[in-house]
Amino acid sequence: MHMADALLSPGVAATMYVLSGTAAGISVARLKKDEDTQKLPVMAVTAALVFAGQMINYTIPGTGSSGHLCGGMMLSALLGPFAGFLSMIVILTIQCLFFADGGLLALGANCWNMAFYGCFVGYFLIWRPIMQSRIGAKMEKKAAGRFKVILASVLGCIVTLQLGAFSVVLETSLSGITELPFGAFCGLMQPIHLAIGLVEGLITAAVLVFVFESRPELLQEADFRADGVTGKGSLRSTVVTLAVVTVFVGGALSLFASGSPDGLEWALFGNKEAGYSENMALDEENFGVESSAADTAASIQEKTAFLPDYAFSNSDSAAGTTVSGIVGSALVAAVAAAICLIGRFFRKKTVHG
Amino acid sequence: MDKTDHAAYGFREMDELAARQSPVHSLHPLAKLITTFVYIFVTVSFHRYDLSGLIVMVLYPALMFTVSGIPVSTCFYKLRFVLPLVLAVGLFNPFFDREPLLTIGSLGISGGMISMTTLMLKGIFCLTASFLLAATTPMDSVCAALRKIRVPGMIVTLLLLTYRYISVMLEELSVMTTAYKLRAPGQKGIRYNAWGSFLGQLLLRTMDRGQELFESMQLRGFQGEFWYADVKKARMTDYLFTVVTVTLFVLCRRFSIAVLTGSLVTGGAV
Amino acid sequence: MIRFEQVSCEYEKGKKALDALNFEITEGESVGLIGANGAGKSTLMKALLGLLPHTGKITVDGLMVSGTNLKEIRKKTGLVLQNSDNQMFMPTVYEDMMFGLLNYGMSREEADKRVDEVLGQLGIKELKNQYNHKMSGGEKRMAAIAVVLAMNPETILMDEPTSALDPCNRRIVIRTICSLTQTRLIASHDLDLILDTCSRVILLSGGKIAADGPAQEILRDRELLEANRMELPLCLSGGYGTAHMNGLRGHSQFEDGTAGAGSEVSPISP
Repeated sequence: MHMADALLSPGVAATMYVLSGTAAGISVARLKKDEDTQKLPVMAVTAALVFAGQMINYTIPGTGSSGHLCGGMMLSALLGPFAGFLSMIVILTIQCLFFADGGLLALGANCWNMAFYGCFVGYFLIWRPIMQSRIGAKMEKKAAGRFKVILASVLGCIVTLQLGAFSVVLETSLSGITELPFGAFCGLMQPIHLAIGLVEGLITAAVLVFVFESRPELLQEADFRADGVTGKGSLRSTVVTLAVVTVFVGGALSLFASGSPDGLEWALFGNKEAGYSENMALDEENFGVESSAADTAASIQEKTAFLPDYAFSNSDSAAGTTVSGIVGSALVAAVAAAICLIGRFFRKKTVHG
Repeated sequence: MDKTDHAAYGFREMDELAARQSPVHSLHPLAKLITTFVYIFVTVSFHRYDLSGLIVMVLYPALMFTVSGIPVSTCFYKLRFVLPLVLAVGLFNPFFDREPLLTIGSLGISGGMISMTTLMLKGIFCLTASFLLAATTPMDSVCAALRKIRVPGMIVTLLLLTYRYISVMLEELSVMTTAYKLRAPGQKGIRYNAWGSFLGQLLLRTMDRGQELFESMQLRGFQGEFWYADVKKARMTDYLFTVVTVTLFVLCRRFSIAVLTGSLVTGGAV
Repeated sequence: MIRFEQVSCEYEKGKKALDALNFEITEGESVGLIGANGAGKSTLMKALLGLLPHTGKITVDGLMVSGTNLKEIRKKTGLVLQNSDNQMFMPTVYEDMMFGLLNYGMSREEADKRVDEVLGQLGIKELKNQYNHKMSGGEKRMAAIAVVLAMNPETILMDEPTSALDPCNRRIVIRTICSLTQTRLIASHDLDLILDTCSRVILLSGGKIAADGPAQEILRDRELLEANRMELPLCLSGGYGTAHMNGLRGHSQFEDGTAGAGSEVSPISP
């Protein structure tokens, strides 16, 4: 789900940097306030473990394929949302620098898509309400705890991955890079990530249940030993959670149902005269809720672009510059090749000399 | 070879590249960070049909590869898994945007073809630029640079510590994977009944290790703030490098260098 | 000088890890701390450094181990951890050594000098800019000792300094320990190591002192050792060849380079 630099316009990338940066700032302030410097080494080694754990293949029973771990939900369950978010940022930064997963410019967006939802949404709207709720109150204490851990992990991973995937689509569409219509893109991304989320949720659940059974005090909100089943705010928070989940899943499914086949078909075969750009514009307006964000992003983009889209408003002038463009590009390529050759020449010389 | 081993190898490889000597390596990390950022920023800001403008941006990586002596092949070999993903997204464009934008002879080239090409080039350029930054700057220098631009100390410290322990964790997991495989021949991954305990065991040990780490830091006077060994002062060259490259990038974005040179050659047919 | 008076420690209520310990270590003494797994060796060291809450009175040079004295005590007392990876959390050996020095307020120039001095003393100058995750086990252990020595401690605590080392590196570490002049407290299961490096031995069992006396006496007492789930050192039980009997007289086997102190393995072979 890592986004590449090329998929983002500078405006959207900058907006995402600001959003993720703010969340990071809040997290740092919160940890400082709680004087959690002691947590720092634990955060670091846990983040390193999650990073390494992503390399492990988990065989999915009944299929030939394997699943992986993403980690946002797991880190926030182990370290709390703020520490978890910072750990995720660090993991994403290292992935970006050392493995070219996602780009430097897209880092802000990636932090938002993968860390923010997993840690904050996943923790405050899913993990904590479920862990504090009276779900399974009739069961034996240990079993109830286990059930809650599984429920929160699976639900959390599915919901946060759906949100993340949706953000990827939104950011790409706002950037106006890909020609894939919004609906079709959604139809492609959401179902795939439903499956991925489920698998990831099960892996996360398996690991967290193991931790719960051996050292429950390591899990946030899961230490029932002292005061039995905690029940504060249980009913309300559970209802809120379920509402969020329902709205979300419903929305995603309806988008999928309506957007996927028609959208693709329509864009591919219908409405040829209108051209593509109008279809896109239509889609952007249809965001509704997000329109203000879209506007902001667009205006930022306008300001940051050094050169408004000159010469491309009508294709004639674009064609006009074509000849010189092609010749010039060829020259540039030649210069680049020359640089490489000269470099090699000099290096050989120094080796021989 | 196992995936964990691959990753560990990848890490070591980057470390070794970054430990080399060259004019690019000796640049101040902050100068490289800023330049790389501006480069990527400018690169992605090119319009999707502005192929001739974008092509000029190839000169920066070409120059950096040459001066730093980092082999181009290493870069593309490392990026072999990521590049196809970037390229795949652009593949849709020719299907959706079929309006012919220009014709060469009888061959019509659609807008989608052009935007696909620019998208792919942007992807390649950005990845190479990030790669060049990572391959010529050791992680501790990157951290020192981040601290200089006021990224909170907590995040930078965390980055440094995590980086340090990733190789330790990869090693531990690699050993565990081997132990698993030896007793489960023919299995491709970890079976579901071991999903929890496999990583869970290590997780518990790891969190204890974090505690010991903290003790070890306390013993040496840790009070929440790190000291960075890298206090390299910025030299004239560093300022010059940053200013010149950034100016050039902006110029390349403002004026289509390729078109200009082309028109000089063809006799000013703009 | 270290003094324990009626010191007890417990992790969980009612389970005493240390039980009313009384002993004294005078300056310059080299003391071996032995005992089976779980006897309380590591706990004792942690309590001494104020990392674990304890009851009773521990003093280091007359300073009580508690609250405000901790900084002073931790500066005077260095701990070499069993796991070097947990000891060294910075990317390179140099940065790791600088970490503690700078935290305790030494200037950069002084710290730089100190680092070179210690690395020279241990003969591992070539490890200075080595990445911590790239070193072999033996190199890591030597670097960890250097990290602690850099702080110029008056007392050095070592937890299993030779665990998981090959014989050659083990001898190097033993020689290093013998060459130190500081007060030393060495916890180990490797009784041959204790015999080579310590003049006095404290035998712990179930958190209590089972014996305290000259190393030659206690380590030769088969009945005492076996009662506490330990065995005679190999060189005394005859399990070793005569070459190793030299170990009793210190570490003479180095001078003539017996057993091919492999030059490619050993960082400090002559």
